[in-house]
Amino acid sequence: MEALTAEVAVNTIKELWSMVLYIILGTIILEILVYLVLGKIFKSKYTLPYMLMIAAIFGLTMLVIYPIGYEVRLAFTNMSLRHFRSYTLSWAQGLKNFGLIFSEPVLKQIRFFPLLFRTLLWTAVNLVFHLAGGLGLAILLNRQMRGRGFYRTLLVFPWAVPQIIAVLAWKGEFHYEYGFVNVMLKSIGMQPIQWMISPFWNFAAACITNIWLGIPFMMIIILGGLQSIPLEFYDAAEIDGASRWQQFRNITLPLLKPVLTPAVVLGIIWTFNNFNVPYMINANELETTDILVTALFRAAFEYHRYGFSAAFAMIIFIVLFIIASVYIRITHGLKGAYE
Amino acid sequence: MKKFLTVLLVLVMLMGIVSIASAKVNLILWTKEGEEALDWNKSLIEEFMKANPNITIELVKKTNVEVLREDFLTASLAGAAPDILWTVSDHAGPFVAADIVEAVDNLFDLNMYVGSAMDAVKLEGKYWGIPISNGNQLMLLYNKKLIAEAPKDTDELFTVGKKLTTGGNYALVWNQTEPFWLVPWLGGFKGKVFAEDGVTPTLNTPEMIATLKFLHDMKFDAKIVPPECDYDGADTLFKEGKAAMIINGDWSISGYVSVLGDDLGVARIPKVSATGEWPKPYTSGVYFMLTKGISGDKLKAAQDFIGFVSSKEKQLEGVKLLNRLPAVKEALEDPLITENPILKGSADQMVVGTPMPTVLEMRCNWDSMKPEMLAVLADTKSPEDAAKLMQSSAESCIKSLE
Amino acid sequence: MKNKNKQSNIYRFFISPSRGDSPFKRMVIHLTLIVACAIAVYPVLRIISVSLRPGDRLLSTSLAIIPKDASLYSYYRIIFEKPFLLWLWNSLAITMTTAFIGLILASTSAYAFSRWKFPGRGPGLFFLLTTQMIPAAMLIVPIYILAVRFQLINSYRGLALAYSVSSVPFSIWILKGYYDTIPRELEEAAKIDGASQMGTFFRIILPLSTPALAIVFLFNFMMAWNDWIMARIMLQRENMFTWPLGIWTLAGQFRVEWGAFTAASILVAVPVMALFLYSSKWLISGLTLGSVKG
Repeated sequence: MEALTAEVAVNTIKELWSMVLYIILGTIILEILVYLVLGKIFKSKYTLPYMLMIAAIFGLTMLVIYPIGYEVRLAFTNMSLRHFRSYTLSWAQGLKNFGLIFSEPVLKQIRFFPLLFRTLLWTAVNLVFHLAGGLGLAILLNRQMRGRGFYRTLLVFPWAVPQIIAVLAWKGEFHYEYGFVNVMLKSIGMQPIQWMISPFWNFAAACITNIWLGIPFMMIIILGGLQSIPLEFYDAAEIDGASRWQQFRNITLPLLKPVLTPAVVLGIIWTFNNFNVPYMINANELETTDILVTALFRAAFEYHRYGFSAAFAMIIFIVLFIIASVYIRITHGLKGAYE
Repeated sequence: MKKFLTVLLVLVMLMGIVSIASAKVNLILWTKEGEEALDWNKSLIEEFMKANPNITIELVKKTNVEVLREDFLTASLAGAAPDILWTVSDHAGPFVAADIVEAVDNLFDLNMYVGSAMDAVKLEGKYWGIPISNGNQLMLLYNKKLIAEAPKDTDELFTVGKKLTTGGNYALVWNQTEPFWLVPWLGGFKGKVFAEDGVTPTLNTPEMIATLKFLHDMKFDAKIVPPECDYDGADTLFKEGKAAMIINGDWSISGYVSVLGDDLGVARIPKVSATGEWPKPYTSGVYFMLTKGISGDKLKAAQDFIGFVSSKEKQLEGVKLLNRLPAVKEALEDPLITENPILKGSADQMVVGTPMPTVLEMRCNWDSMKPEMLAVLADTKSPEDAAKLMQSSAESCIKSLE
Repeated sequence: MKNKNKQSNIYRFFISPSRGDSPFKRMVIHLTLIVACAIAVYPVLRIISVSLRPGDRLLSTSLAIIPKDASLYSYYRIIFEKPFLLWLWNSLAITMTTAFIGLILASTSAYAFSRWKFPGRGPGLFFLLTTQMIPAAMLIVPIYILAVRFQLINSYRGLALAYSVSSVPFSIWILKGYYDTIPRELEEAAKIDGASQMGTFFRIILPLSTPALAIVFLFNFMMAWNDWIMARIMLQRENMFTWPLGIWTLAGQFRVEWGAFTAASILVAVPVMALFLYSSKWLISGLTLGSVKG
């Protein structure tokens, strides 16, 4: 059994230290290069900012740009188990891959557009409940009351628990015989639900879990936003005779927007690409619970269709990109960030 | 000058010979085993290294078979593959398709191994693994306290079962979520998942429909099994004494022995009354596989190690430790097995089993059978519809393997 | 004192109904919050109860939080019989290192984005946002191959590099937003007094940004600490596993060691949650930094 001995501990530190030294060395080299090329040769006035960023740029190139480039190239091949070491790379193959995504089932039975629809449904359902729940709880908490800190601390639990643990715990709770959801249902006289076998209920289970996980995040952001709205605005509106609903619509919502928009954009992106929840709640690998990214994972690692899944990944990215861009455009939400 | 050069040359040659002779060979072995089996791995390696000081074997434990498969594929792709694998037979399909393992036909004497064990890794006319143990089959395990003798056929199973299923207790439990538990019954109804060529799926057949109907009736008509039951659920119920019988595999035996002791009985899965056939659970085993391209000293060292593990002594050691049947013919006839009731029962079931297909296409069969089987057991599809969908899923899956 | 409050409450009740809530309304609010808290916390309590239940029994018809035959054996087992401490150590070492490196990379780059309008700035910012949209599954195979080529596999170097860089885009967004709220006049003044550009960075910007820097450090830490997928690619030998991989090994294919798994989960979750709750105020304000102007 591997144990934590002093030797092992020291070894880890040595390794990390040597890596840190390499990084420092590498950064110095990069800095010198940039300084010489931009500063001395081009005499650019932007030498300093580039020097500041070069390490990060280099890192991101290796971690993001190279892999994406690799995947784009892979999308034009037919690499799979049968064509593992030698595969064909051509424009025609690429076109074929992209065509296959739309014309044939992506996994065994599920096709692209139902998957896309389900992913959009997943994103929409989750966000609506996240926002509604977060907003409701934030409004309740946004007042002087006893135990406010206590409530806030407990309500943040779902966000604080490491996600893998929370998801696996919920999966256990949806067990037919012993999970507490069915036990509760039985105790109020209802029929227990087959959460893991029924396509509809499995999807619902995934949604319930993700909603539970995501409400605290929204709640906290909205609460922060609410607390920065000066009370005088509300008092002034009171005096002018505005109803509670009018106050909400005309004061609260607009003033929450700068805080809410980045949160919603992030929420859309993270929910759309959420892998852990739909993958792990889906104990029986029902294709009807898959969303785009889990189907991508299965196509790549369970069916070994490497070339095909690279093309698939590109399509998913483009879809999300369009959605996010459209949303940002509509709400002009990120104006501040670009200035 | 000449003398000096000659001496130098001789010295260099000597050094070369000495370094070759005492060259350390380092092998990397990936294993899928855990717990007791992993301890056996370690002790085997230790013993072997003591006897062969110039060979070191580095053991890398892989969390489970899926991890081993994924990691071996990615490692091979990147050129960082290990030398030997200690893994399951169904990995032969994907690894042979990807051309990342060596054929073993000319590297070992294959006659000393049990025929069905070798057949399990025969693909494209060659053999691709050396068996270590054989079995992995499902069988009927029963609690002698709750049921004195195992039923001989399914009619008896139903009658006895109905009496036993009362008040939260069940007659029979099994993992209702995996098609691995469906295929024995399919064999009992004289069905097979592949046609003669071994790669064309035959899932939409009267035999499959009969099997699905049988499983459905067992649950909804005779009502001798729980409404929803996965592996853990079945295991828990049997261990808690709430189920008289369980259909589970040889890997679970030691766990039940520790809970039930002598009350544990092992028998064949009951004969299908409608056809008079014994169900045919899949047998597979644990195998050595060699990475493609292994040669020279490493190959020799690997051959030595594999020969060491295939000795009758080591095979029987494995039987004693792990309750798994050996793969070497000689070891199978040893009284150690023939006189142990549990091992005897296990061997008895294995005899009517059938080797699990390991071709790449088998994965498609498994993936297609699973959701449809679940649907039939959830009463949301008829057996006929389910069988039809199984076939179409498998076909589209196989098409995508190109 | 009491009377005064009561009077002003009644006063406020008639003048502004929304400000002073009626007792009934208060009760309803408290009830709702209590129910919400129960829903938030219950699954965590269930994990605790499985960890206290002997015999690896995940499933039980009893809903009791503390089972009748509760025992701390699983905790003993996970600490002494499994390499749990090793996993924690591995995680801690990597996470601390990468949080620092990531912080350094992000704080300098964010400064560049904030203070200069260099060519490629707009697209750069946009690129940083789009990196968040990439499905992780897309990057797994190429990153692995890259790591093997550069000998980064099976050592912590590869993983540490991956962690350092992967939270950089998000951190840059946050820090840039914060830097933007620091008026340039401060730097101008310092430069007049003879400080260099970088001097102002170290002496003015950084000290003023400590809340944001702390937040970014915390984010980096949490993301690396909880990560499973990168570690799964980079660490292929079990003795190097971080805790997410470690507890994943407890969930075998057929037999899950539920007792050890849940005990480990609790032991990991508790300090994480404590840290999180302690710093949650900071985290929240970090997310809204720079977006609420003035």
